[in-house]
Amino acid sequence: MSEMTKSIPAENPSSNHQGLSAPSDLGLTPQTMCPAFGSLRVLTRIDGLQTAMVTDAGCLYGLSFVTHFYAGRKSISAPVLGTKELMAGNIAEAAIAACAEAAKAPGTKLVAALSLCVAETAGLTEEMLPVQINGVDVVLIRVPAYAIHTHPEAKDIAINALLKKYVAPARKTDATGVEAPLSREGPDLRHQVILMGEVFPVDPLSVDMVLKKMGASLASNLPSRNLDDYRIAGKVGAIAALHPFYTRSVATLRAAGVPIVSGAPIGADGSYGWIKGIGNALKLDPARVEEVASEEREKCRAIIQANRIEGKVHICGYEGNELGYARLLVEAGAQALYVSTSIEKSLYTAADEAWLKAHGTVEVVYRKTLEQDIRALDKHKPDLVLGTTPLSAEAKLRGIPSMYYTNQLSTRPLFLSAGLAGTISLIKDALSRAPRYAWMREFFTGENDASDALNAKPVINTMD
Amino acid sequence: MTENVPVAPATTPEQAKASAAQIIRDLDTTSGYWAAVWTICCLPDAHVICDAPIGCFNLVGTAVPDYTDAIPHIENLTPSVMREQEVTMLGTAGAVRRAVDGLRAIHPDRQMIVVSTAESEMISSDHGDWLGKLDPPVSFYWSRSLEDDEWVGRDRVLLWLWKNFGQGGVKDQPVLSRAVNIIGPTYGCFNSPADLHEIKRLIAGAGGVVNLVYPYEAALKDTPRLSESAVNVVLHREYGDGLAQELGKPFLHAPVGIRETTDFIRELGKLLGAGDQAEAFIEREKKTTLQPIWDLWRGPQGDWFSTTEFAVVAGRTYADGLVTFLGDELGMKLVFATGHPIKPGEMDNIAVRNFLHKRQPGFVFGSINEKIYLAEAGARATHFIPAGFPIPIVRRALGTPFMGYSGAVYIAQEMVNRFYETVFNYLPIDTVKPAGGGTGGPPGPAAADTGTLIWSDAARAALEARVEGIPWLSRISAMRDARTQVEAYALRQHINQVTPEVVQRAIA
Repeated sequence: MSEMTKSIPAENPSSNHQGLSAPSDLGLTPQTMCPAFGSLRVLTRIDGLQTAMVTDAGCLYGLSFVTHFYAGRKSISAPVLGTKELMAGNIAEAAIAACAEAAKAPGTKLVAALSLCVAETAGLTEEMLPVQINGVDVVLIRVPAYAIHTHPEAKDIAINALLKKYVAPARKTDATGVEAPLSREGPDLRHQVILMGEVFPVDPLSVDMVLKKMGASLASNLPSRNLDDYRIAGKVGAIAALHPFYTRSVATLRAAGVPIVSGAPIGADGSYGWIKGIGNALKLDPARVEEVASEEREKCRAIIQANRIEGKVHICGYEGNELGYARLLVEAGAQALYVSTSIEKSLYTAADEAWLKAHGTVEVVYRKTLEQDIRALDKHKPDLVLGTTPLSAEAKLRGIPSMYYTNQLSTRPLFLSAGLAGTISLIKDALSRAPRYAWMREFFTGENDASDALNAKPVINTMD
Repeated sequence: MTENVPVAPATTPEQAKASAAQIIRDLDTTSGYWAAVWTICCLPDAHVICDAPIGCFNLVGTAVPDYTDAIPHIENLTPSVMREQEVTMLGTAGAVRRAVDGLRAIHPDRQMIVVSTAESEMISSDHGDWLGKLDPPVSFYWSRSLEDDEWVGRDRVLLWLWKNFGQGGVKDQPVLSRAVNIIGPTYGCFNSPADLHEIKRLIAGAGGVVNLVYPYEAALKDTPRLSESAVNVVLHREYGDGLAQELGKPFLHAPVGIRETTDFIRELGKLLGAGDQAEAFIEREKKTTLQPIWDLWRGPQGDWFSTTEFAVVAGRTYADGLVTFLGDELGMKLVFATGHPIKPGEMDNIAVRNFLHKRQPGFVFGSINEKIYLAEAGARATHFIPAGFPIPIVRRALGTPFMGYSGAVYIAQEMVNRFYETVFNYLPIDTVKPAGGGTGGPPGPAAADTGTLIWSDAARAALEARVEGIPWLSRISAMRDARTQVEAYALRQHINQVTPEVVQRAIA
């Protein structure tokens, strides 16, 4: 434990302002769900997996609350960890005891021990945990919120931990450097794809239909409820990393020799490019792939043409898949002047960012804060905000139509031509509700903009 | 305005060995840090900076209060955002300073209060000294997040608020003779808006005038006004006594059930010198608010209570209150009760889970934990009634109290309506079948055919044993279903003598 701080700390270089005016770059409140929840969400949904959490009471309470609400209705074991227990230095014994309790459930195949902030600070390490407890495998998932900054990244950590456990290292090569063929026995997985990323349950079906037209098919979708899906991940023909934040999992699979296709089949251009990418990775017949990709692009264009939207939309979630979503809305006619996400800029965000900037997006913000998102409201005056909970609340306070990105956008199909209509109509519908937001605001706050949205026509922005 | 940071007691190796890890399931009670945020942030002119990694901020300020208190987020809470570098090298002072400076620019009128968290306590981040030297000074609250639970935590932070922002500001003014403060609720107190509404109604009925509802409807600058009241009412038994004792006035706990409520009104009336008014109010209430209990008691519904079992897992006030009201007053059979904070002899979650897996009472009042345990057990005939956190729930309507006379009526009404629900679910349905089409399943036993079946005594006993775990009201139909199943099986197998083995095979 470190020395107590006694002297007045120097002012932070980034807060070199005087007086009471806020610096224009002030960002105090990063936007993310507790990062560790990303792991819990993936893990508690797996059949035969039980969870032990190694952490303090407050953390345990909060994470259990959200897990039981919308991740898995599964009992969670934990050791009591207060000052006394932490000072006693038996963090490993505590973790092992919690794992033993978790392993009691009939049919348990794997126990995931989650190591959170105080356990990490107390020095819990992988070597301290046995590989098995009472005959059940144990895997340690280390997700302290101070080191893992966002909820999507913790999903990647959980998936990667399972992949590392179940995926064999790189394929063997012979003396001449030629790779041994994959999966000699059982079904040939080389023409199958695994989608990596949480999606609406219908989307994998749409993807599978398109793959089948090209002589391929879908093997599964990670994160999966089935541990076997992690076991086959090293043997399939390609992994489609749908979202840009699966960097660790992608590295593990790449090391195992599995081709990776990044991006997602969203919108006309996105779907076309994605299908071509899959075709390449699986070495499918190029002519057939081009045919299927073009056909899908035309279908998307037709649907987009029939469902045009107009208006300025801010896309400001913390899920890490905001950029792809923004692309679709832009294709459908919206202006996405401001797009922000909690994840950091990487190789995997570059293509979407470039596309968006080429199509009118002014700002793409990574590792964003609430304050940045709110300043963007002042700056760009959007007609619709797809935001985090606090941002959506702020937008509604201003009478701007808004929805919580996480809840609303995950309840519709999104991929390929099959996913377009539902998603675009959700946005179109939201844009048309502006008068209601204005009415509610005026009723509860007494405030009303000079533009008098109450009397405005349903779609208030004309893009002129 | 700082708290002394307690030095953690040294633990000898022998003690460490002796303290084998205590294991829990599905923790139901949060920490002193949550208590501090959920208490202080009720006061709109205070702003809490939690010295926390982003997760401790998000869960306490947004992810959980969205679903406990139905608020979009706690607006006057900001994190210092502790990162790896702060934990391992720098300490958190720089991060706290940045938040203080930034927030002062945005909210110059708010009192900044820095609150410690489990992680900041882990690395001994005590900022009291330097924060106090800032101009104007910033307060520091050591929340004992690694030691105290949320109940001890609320009690302690309420007292701290009084000592730091209350007692020094008390002006020489007479105590208002009819003024009553209500201590509690804070954020994260189950069903509190409705309970608070009812308690205010009872106080007015007993001749009192509500002075300050602290902290829920107060500002930090109101804190000295806690001294104005003649009597204080502590809304929850779980916390608040510390502040009430310090204030030195007589205080009462908010009541649950008919008798406690009557005693409460009577006692409050006496303390306020309004005894006659209180008595008249009680009489009026019996014929108005409380009349439904008397009507249900005399009607057919009243009999159900005495033949039905219930169990409770909830905060101490609700757990004890439901046992008193449903058990002692209405005569329901108590199977088990556990309150938070837990008392010696009460079941913890591991024991509750094991119990509910084996046996499910007709009514279980509880949190999402009990709901999960009932689901794990496949309990279909048990009514689960939310009665405590953790559980996602909106409880913002004022008409759903558990406390007071209105609470007694609301609980009784809820339960009777669940009885009706049971009746509906078990009434036979004449399934509408398409003309000429069958269901595809085996033919049901015709009355004439089953009449020839002979049941041995042992077989009948075996059938009865099958339905023993099911609450009484659902047992009739469960028994009918089981019997039909056995008889259909016997007919299919051309068996005319039903033995325990036949029952066993039929309902396997």
